[in-house]
Amino acid sequence: MKAIKFAMAGALLAVSVLASAEEAVLKVSAIPDEAPTELQRKFAPLGAYLEKELGMKVQFVPVTDYAAVVTALTSDKIDMAWLGGFTFVQASQRGKVVPLVQREEDSKFTSKYIANAEAGINSLKDLKGKSFAFGSASSTSGHLMPRYFLQKQGIKPETFFKNVAYSGAHDATVAWVASGKVEGGVLNASVWDKLVEAGKVDPAKVKLIGTTPAYYDYNWTVRGNLDAKLQQKITKAFLKLDPKNPEQQAILELQRASKFIPTKAANYKGIESAAKEAGLLK
Amino acid sequence: MLSHPRDPALLPRLLWGALLLALLVPTLPLTGFNPLQLFDAATLKTLAGFVAGFLPPASNAVFLGEVMRAGVTTLAAATAGLALAMLVGLPLAFATSRALDRHALTAAAPSRLAEAGKSLLRGVMVLLRGVPEIVWALLFVRAVGLGSLPAVLALGLAYGGMLGKVYAEILESQPRALARALSAAGAGRTQVLGYGLLPQALPELVSYSVYRWECAIRASAVMGFVGAGGIGQLLDTSIKMMNGGEVSTLLLVFLLIVVGTEGVSRLSRRLLESRQGGAVLAGAAVLAALASVAWLLPAWREAGFDGASLLHFGREFLPPDASPTLLADIGRGALETLAMAFLGTVLAFAGAALLALPASGRFGQSVKTLARLLLNLLRGIPDLLWASLAVLAVGLGPAAGVLALALHTSGVLGRLFAETLENAPPAPEQALRVLGAGRLTAFCYGLLPEVWAQWLAYALYRGENNIRAAAVLGIVGAGGLGQQLYLALSLFQLPTAASLILAMLLLSWLLEQLSRLLRQQLEAAAGHAA
Repeated sequence: MKAIKFAMAGALLAVSVLASAEEAVLKVSAIPDEAPTELQRKFAPLGAYLEKELGMKVQFVPVTDYAAVVTALTSDKIDMAWLGGFTFVQASQRGKVVPLVQREEDSKFTSKYIANAEAGINSLKDLKGKSFAFGSASSTSGHLMPRYFLQKQGIKPETFFKNVAYSGAHDATVAWVASGKVEGGVLNASVWDKLVEAGKVDPAKVKLIGTTPAYYDYNWTVRGNLDAKLQQKITKAFLKLDPKNPEQQAILELQRASKFIPTKAANYKGIESAAKEAGLLK
Repeated sequence: MLSHPRDPALLPRLLWGALLLALLVPTLPLTGFNPLQLFDAATLKTLAGFVAGFLPPASNAVFLGEVMRAGVTTLAAATAGLALAMLVGLPLAFATSRALDRHALTAAAPSRLAEAGKSLLRGVMVLLRGVPEIVWALLFVRAVGLGSLPAVLALGLAYGGMLGKVYAEILESQPRALARALSAAGAGRTQVLGYGLLPQALPELVSYSVYRWECAIRASAVMGFVGAGGIGQLLDTSIKMMNGGEVSTLLLVFLLIVVGTEGVSRLSRRLLESRQGGAVLAGAAVLAALASVAWLLPAWREAGFDGASLLHFGREFLPPDASPTLLADIGRGALETLAMAFLGTVLAFAGAALLALPASGRFGQSVKTLARLLLNLLRGIPDLLWASLAVLAVGLGPAAGVLALALHTSGVLGRLFAETLENAPPAPEQALRVLGAGRLTAFCYGLLPEVWAQWLAYALYRGENNIRAAAVLGIVGAGGLGQQLYLALSLFQLPTAASLILAMLLLSWLLEQLSRLLRQQLEAAAGHAA
């Protein structure tokens, strides 16, 4: 028994020593609100830009679980993450984190309600007794805020809908509604616009039935004990992104941002109280 | 004048049937399972669209490369996980096996302290294996991050507890004359094990470990559904994105891995028959474990692992939430879980009986081959995987769980039923046929009574398994306690998660007691009849 304990302790030690012996790398991740391949595609040029600006290696760590990104950031396994409003609130409850920047669009973010076109649904009210999909349970725009606004309208999802499901990601919600697996759903407005522009939504299958009021969403957050100078450099690099520079415009477009603006924790107080009211935060 | 009743046991049979129906009826609203929904036009269309997308299977080079790497990761995580489980299980078995106790072997008095220690260790083993491996994986994913490390740790703990118990029981089932003599001559635990029990028990120990390795591979493949890497993670993404081509490629690769593992395990059982073969097998196993760790190590280094945050995470679960609303929720979840398992098993019993007839060769060789193939397919795909596919057919919620359990269990029971049919003495049925009974009558009164008790025993055993399975199917959206647990963990409501895990443990323990009682009753009834 003892020998095994020692062996396990030894192995753990070896792993942690190996891990710490690496060169300076900025480890970046993002909540998996879209398919993993899409996340990588979106990050590649931004990562290259940051490498150049910061003069250090930038590595994207793909993660397929919202909560795991929160845990990774608050236990210092990654340095920076793209978080939603709700995951940011969760992270700040669980450790010291600093929000640096957000897209201009994130200060007035919305969610879109959609329905299967063949189900004869024209408004939220028509979804009574139908099946409905949120995105991930940890998503701000795919779950928390729509739930909060639904409740404000007197709709309690668990009793109003026949069935409440969690698709896991915004693009998955569209796929579910299009296939008829669920009759209605809600997702991030930015992803919806992107899918529509790219022609990935078949209007014969999916239609828009509503939009939520605006709220604060996504930001880029670093762990609290990250070198302060590096934090400043990162912020500067994001704020410097210029839509008139074609190369940087490409980065902004992939991030679905017109430009990046500074942000602060206080911006997300509204999300925190909405989460408490919706019963998602205790 | 009354004629002789055609079936003297008709009344009790009808009563049992009515009781079963009375139990089944409430499970329908509880699980929302509606067989008609399967044939609903909209459902059929969704399903047909998805299945049509299966062809052609995705075969672009980038995806195939990813699948290959994921497949190797799944195998490596299972192998490393089993190696860890053996490191956990062997010392536990050594410490707790009653076959090594001096007081059991000689007239010596037991030491109170040592016995208390052993009870404690047995309690630890119950806890380790009582929490399903997928739940361990989910917990580790949240605690140490994503990737294969959580899968290895989950298998190490859950299977460690299982191996510890079974290894100890295997030692206990060996003839003890030699062990007794050694103990009487003053030999200690190690010597009694090394010279008195191990030589005879070794083949059985190895063979059980190989069987567990097979199970570990299936388990490792589905752990990706909670973010623990490997082929399951790709499957989860592809199913969520409703990419049929990718799903069919992944299913094919998964089935290939399962078939391959069965081949390897058959080969290793044959190797076990000779001394040199045993040495080759041992060498291969050690090499496989080392190679697996080597394959997984780069990703582990990346993920890092620190015990402090693990401990911190563990502490957040305490104290478990015991608020009345949560307890009511748990009660509802548990009821849903039980209903899912019960209905799923009953449907599987019917399906298995229907498939077992052709699979036992009653309708010719080609039909038999076909039926066996179908049974293998049903059985080869784990229930969690069936559940995530069933969600497409009947929507989210417990109905998908019922369908998943019914499909997987039909495969398992069907094969066992077919075997009992093949092994049953044919004379009674033939005699009835000769006397002029129809085929159905001859089967019902000639063959069925021969196999019925065996079938019930198998179904009972699987039913017990299914309750454990039903408790976790919710992780992929199929209702019950699992769905509540997944949500609680996503929202960092850890005390709630703790209560849910305790509820799962309690359910599993209650079940073990109940099934032991039922089995005793059945055995007593069988003994009485004989």
